[in-house]
Amino acid sequence: MTSICLYFEVHQPMRLNHFSVFNIGTNHDRSVDYFNQKLNQEIFEKVAKKCYLPTNKVLLDLINRYDGKFRVSFSLTGTFIEDCELYMPSVLDSFKDLFATGAVDLIEETYYHSLSSMYDDLDEFEKQIKMHRKKIKRIFNYNPKIFRNTETIYDNRIARKITELGYKGIITEGADRILGGRSSNYLYRPVNTDLKVLLRNYKLSDDIGFRFSTYSWSEFPLTADKYAKWLSRCEGDIVNLFIDYETFGEHQWTETGIFEFLKHLPGEVLKHNHLDFVTVSEAVERYKPVGEIDVPWAISWADEDRNVSTWLGNDMQIACFNELKNIGSKLKEKSNEELLKTWRCLQTSDHLYYCSTKGLADGDVHAYFSPYDNPYEGFMNYMNVLQDLKQRVVL
Amino acid sequence: MKFEGKLREVELGLIFYPQMRILNGVMINMKIAMIGWEYPPFKAGGLATHCYGLTRSLSDKNVKVYFFMPKTKHTVNSDRPNLVIKEVGETEIFPYDRPEDKALAGNFFEEVHRYNQLVVAKVKAVAKAEGKFDFIHAHDWLTMEAATILKEDLGIPMVLTIHSTEYDRSGWLDPNQWFIDIERKGMEKADGIIAVSHFTKRVIVEKYGINPEVISVVHNAVYPVPEGKKQKIVLFLGRLTIQKGAEFFLKAARKVLDYEPDVRFVVAGVGDMLPRLIDQAVDLGISNRVIFTGRLTEDEVKHIYGISSVYIMPSVSEPFGITALEAISAGTPTIASKTAGVCETFNNCLKVDFWDSDEMASKIISLLRYESLRRTLTENGKQEIELFTWDNVAGKTIDVYNGMDIARLEKQLKEREKIYKWNQKLASRAYEPTLTLKTKKMRKSKC
Repeated sequence: MTSICLYFEVHQPMRLNHFSVFNIGTNHDRSVDYFNQKLNQEIFEKVAKKCYLPTNKVLLDLINRYDGKFRVSFSLTGTFIEDCELYMPSVLDSFKDLFATGAVDLIEETYYHSLSSMYDDLDEFEKQIKMHRKKIKRIFNYNPKIFRNTETIYDNRIARKITELGYKGIITEGADRILGGRSSNYLYRPVNTDLKVLLRNYKLSDDIGFRFSTYSWSEFPLTADKYAKWLSRCEGDIVNLFIDYETFGEHQWTETGIFEFLKHLPGEVLKHNHLDFVTVSEAVERYKPVGEIDVPWAISWADEDRNVSTWLGNDMQIACFNELKNIGSKLKEKSNEELLKTWRCLQTSDHLYYCSTKGLADGDVHAYFSPYDNPYEGFMNYMNVLQDLKQRVVL
Repeated sequence: MKFEGKLREVELGLIFYPQMRILNGVMINMKIAMIGWEYPPFKAGGLATHCYGLTRSLSDKNVKVYFFMPKTKHTVNSDRPNLVIKEVGETEIFPYDRPEDKALAGNFFEEVHRYNQLVVAKVKAVAKAEGKFDFIHAHDWLTMEAATILKEDLGIPMVLTIHSTEYDRSGWLDPNQWFIDIERKGMEKADGIIAVSHFTKRVIVEKYGINPEVISVVHNAVYPVPEGKKQKIVLFLGRLTIQKGAEFFLKAARKVLDYEPDVRFVVAGVGDMLPRLIDQAVDLGISNRVIFTGRLTEDEVKHIYGISSVYIMPSVSEPFGITALEAISAGTPTIASKTAGVCETFNNCLKVDFWDSDEMASKIISLLRYESLRRTLTENGKQEIELFTWDNVAGKTIDVYNGMDIARLEKQLKEREKIYKWNQKLASRAYEPTLTLKTKKMRKSKC
């Protein structure tokens, strides 16, 4: 038996207002809004119409049609849930409906989709996980058992922390260099702690996420029965397909046939008797680790490099990251909830992602997702905001 | 039929080019008569830099280039055996002159015509003495007249490179129709046009009504400038004309100085706006922080690029903007006008609307304050600069020569053959008087 584990990342960043150097240090008397509510609302509503609502409906129908044999998992970031509450509660309701079927699992992560796991100590990381846990408990009355860090960033230190916090499993990228020729289609155990690691099958995941509508791809067009055949030929316990939820209807438009693909996928998969679907929690209960992985340097699912260079790859990103940590240590001495909240919203990894100067193929992907014309604009805006926040913290 | 032979063919727009030496679809041993205006060490703009880089790299690619230019005070030397520089005669005019300025006192138009006649005579003489040319290649409006005459008299194709149009030079304010007419006439006659950017190609199509198919875009390149010891200098370098937008530089300087008082602003270059800019600096109360250098030598230019911390190119209309590449090659982060041609192809620079001095000032301050920004821009910029070589430009220019010849001319010849046959038919029916008229009409609609 080989299990298919489908998991979707659902996240929206809080995009910033235009903030020039002349704005730094002004308006300290009243509260400054760094975030572009109008733009965030516009984008959220657009994506909700194109992706969240229609895809949730498709999934709900599929779960009902296959009587719970079709199972999926989600991780909803804290900022995404806040957006739902603020702009479109109906989106959150549709996720609740899905969860109520019992065929859907929820995954823990940092509330702000941040890089707090890369800080010198993991206090802030832990706090943000607990914030997320509280939020999920309040909304879904559920305690997730599996953890997924921001963009699947993972190293030994993070694995140990997650074990300490009581999770049963963790998700990361099936990067070749940690597997060393082994298959990603099994569970593994971190070298330093007792935890189960689910590894993303990047080839099969990216077939849907990136290549689905690529004309020049030799397998184009990708159909559900072809894909199910590929899955049926996979060896191992579990095939982990982890993709951005926005793939459906947003990155891959409706016209590409992505929804048709999704609608037919469960039926085609279940035609093969040795295949079934599992949620992440079920995968961890059902299967045993077959080996150890040792990850001293952080990996992630981003870009070709599959490390953290997407967020911390150039001097600008490192300068912003250091400034973030700097502000954090100053905030510790104060107890100002409003500033703390602002600081945390600014930790969302997307702000650093927009400053990435990685060229060529990767750069194209970055340009598509960025609200800025180029990484330098992204840096100046973000850094100016950080400078302003720093001044307010010191005041 | 009254006219026979070549004259007749010219009249019908039917010109064959029997001297082409084509091997596997590509021309070999090309010989070009290039008509330029300025050439280092003297230069007033990107045209000189372009001609310098292009002619040297063309000759390295086995193209024999004869470069025709006015006699100047400086002697101009070629450092390539394949590159011959021919001085034509003296003239007082430069491509950036306006009829209303200079002490030409109303002789501007005559002077332009006189110089063009000199060029025609000189090129013909060289062709006679040293063998035929394969192409005429001219740059910008000033010698378009000569190029057109030579194309028809010598029966060879003509290529034009457009570095700027009258619309650019006037900053799109009150362009002079006389220049526009000259430019349009030249462009209509050209067999191939090279535009230095897509921006310029658009202008040529939309403002001059030229068929986009004959226009190729070849972006400029740069000979890297060495990096110096950086000082807190923000640099403007260019002609002080309405086109280059130095006044926006000064406006931004005013704002920057409120936040970063120890920065110096350098305005390098000369032009008719100089007195006004000096007044402006005084009015803004920043004359103690702004340095006007006047005309700089080539070494001085390199030095100032090298020691500046920020370079600003706030052009109102900039077909390309080689200076941006020069500054970046010298390790100087650059803020360029969004619409500048260079911005369509170069990623690692900052971009602003030229009129938005607030945003410009904000970016200058960011560059001065954030070392990480400076470093990232400099490192990535220098890497990207390596793609912008004159060798590339020469290669693409040769592609234009070749492509123009074989594919396009064949098509053109076929079309003209049709007209020719049609005319012959008419001629045989002895409609001689109306023939010329109709032919002219046809030609107009064809071009």
